[in-house]
Amino acid sequence: MVAARPAVHEAAPPHGVFTRHDHRGPCAIDADVVVIGSGAGGATIAAELAEAGFDVVALEEGSYYQTRDFTADSSAMMRQLYRDGGATMAIGTPPIFYQEGRAVGGSTVINGGMSWRTPAKVLARWEREIGLAGIARDLEPYFERVERRIHVAPMDPEAIGNDNLLLKKGADAKGWKLIGNLRNQAHCAGSNRCAFGCPTGAKQSALVSYVPRALHFGARVYADVHVDRITRHGRRATGVIGTIAGGHKLTVRAKLVVAACGAIHTPALLVRSGFRSPSGQLGKNLAMHPNVKVVAIFDEDVTGWKGAHQAFQVREFQDQGLLFAAVNLPPSLLAMSFPHRGAELGGLMQHYDRMVLAGMLCEDTTTGRVRMLHGRPQAFYQLADADAANLQHGVVLLSELLFAAGAKRILLPFHRAAELHGPDDARRLLDRAIPARGWEVVTVHLMGTCRMGPDPAAAVTGGFGLVHHTDGLMVADASLFPTPIGVNPMETIMALATRAAGHVIDNAGRFLA
Amino acid sequence: MTVATYRHTHTARQVLRSLVPVICPPEAGALGDAIVEHMALTFGAFPRVLQRGFAAGLVAYDLAALPRFGQRARSLRGERAERYYASWEAGPTRLHVQLARGLKQLMSLSCYEQPQMMARLGYQPAPWIAEVTHRRITVYRDDVQRQAQQLLAPDPLRPGVHVKRDRA
Repeated sequence: MVAARPAVHEAAPPHGVFTRHDHRGPCAIDADVVVIGSGAGGATIAAELAEAGFDVVALEEGSYYQTRDFTADSSAMMRQLYRDGGATMAIGTPPIFYQEGRAVGGSTVINGGMSWRTPAKVLARWEREIGLAGIARDLEPYFERVERRIHVAPMDPEAIGNDNLLLKKGADAKGWKLIGNLRNQAHCAGSNRCAFGCPTGAKQSALVSYVPRALHFGARVYADVHVDRITRHGRRATGVIGTIAGGHKLTVRAKLVVAACGAIHTPALLVRSGFRSPSGQLGKNLAMHPNVKVVAIFDEDVTGWKGAHQAFQVREFQDQGLLFAAVNLPPSLLAMSFPHRGAELGGLMQHYDRMVLAGMLCEDTTTGRVRMLHGRPQAFYQLADADAANLQHGVVLLSELLFAAGAKRILLPFHRAAELHGPDDARRLLDRAIPARGWEVVTVHLMGTCRMGPDPAAAVTGGFGLVHHTDGLMVADASLFPTPIGVNPMETIMALATRAAGHVIDNAGRFLA
Repeated sequence: MTVATYRHTHTARQVLRSLVPVICPPEAGALGDAIVEHMALTFGAFPRVLQRGFAAGLVAYDLAALPRFGQRARSLRGERAERYYASWEAGPTRLHVQLARGLKQLMSLSCYEQPQMMARLGYQPAPWIAEVTHRRITVYRDDVQRQAQQLLAPDPLRPGVHVKRDRA
């Protein structure tokens, strides 16, 4: 074991982190395990295996940042921390913009920090329909371990902002079930900057939790490395070949390769490395949890940017696949989302501090797929009629809630939609046919493109993420999910990765042979 | 990864500059050059195919004004510029609509990223971040330190198993 170091260094990158500046030529390294990706899945499995004595190398396409690098400059943070600056889109009607983190710590650096266990009904479905016998019971201790590690806790009351309090007021007025969000935070200060890298260090993203832990136990992290392909000998994965930003090649020889690049890039990496799944499911089964938002304008001052991100969730309609929460966006991103322009945009934005932005997550009933297009993975996803109807129903409910909280006007997530001025307007929405192309849909939850299951004819990987019909190749990210889970996926990814690490440790002799 | 430096073409810069009064609120009028420069930063983070798409779209937008107004779009001002943009916004094809909508979105983003525009709305996150950061490390100092220590404390997933030690 190496000597203890501080969890977060605020100067040069810590020992064990290598960036593009550390390379003067091609680089070849050996390891027991190479992990591709350093987000919720990659950092977790890297830390667990490093502590168990495996020689672990983690590769990350994005750069290494520290808490002090996260500033109030929202668009600069998006350029640095988001894949393609956030301009990633699933093709379909409507096109769906999605966001993925690209930095050491992966999407945990830019997510809202919601930490929920996989719902029992979802795990029961995985047992019943997918054949993952006993997974609910198996995951229990891993959830506990993850929650301890990333400090999953309710919010301190003083960090909760007015936008969230208004959401609660509306839910209470309607008599709807609302719960305090559990988040991976150690006394979140309410800076409301979760999506741009937590500037206070309170959010226990992988960057400040599992990555320092992995380093502490001897893992090495290579940032700025794009993995070109996984190398193979017959059906055995033998390592990876990547390109360091600047052009030098990096080769890693390893006995176990773990792909944890997320549901878009993991299947793409497997495909371009020549792996095929007899199930025909590789790259398919893409679930997205489509999100839409409404913007409510109140008479009172809200100043939603002062206070924690998503302090509450409305769970009244969870059985219908709908969750509601208040989120906040900086003026630039909010202005971007409005169809208004010119003086009209200026007039609307004058109300910025009196706005509550509320979003809704829909558990989707359809799936899309990931294909290679011009050498890059491209998501294709068609919003199902049933999901569009569910979103429409959700918009009505959410609008009713916001009017019950005192909202005076509500702007809708449909292009050229009229504003709502009362709950009756909201209910009348149900009579409107809203064409799919008119929806403005986004998402940050991508799942399912390497679905797990015991049957190689129906799943890409087994229950621990090992790719069927290959040796030494494992998947450890949300692409494993056989179905959407209806809640924020981070904790499920981490628990599955911890369980997979346990499987590797239990069978170390086999993996290290 | 570093974000590559992106430079607008001359045409793109001129067209974008002419769109500032159409898309941004009047109070942003004096910030036109800064807004267009900021858009270059945003474009720089995009995948190359999208960068090329916008560049080509701006050329098309510029030239397509000629038959209707006898001038390129970059030279249109006032009500004529407004009418021309609106015709793309309502669009004969989805491509027209997508380009108009995309330009509107990116320009609005860059407009409200200008410090003057944020200040007009009372949005000043930096002092707020400093304030709450200070509050966190003073009020919750012990808990914060405890969590930092917990992160590095030994807690093996399989107690007693250590493959390096076992191999040795």
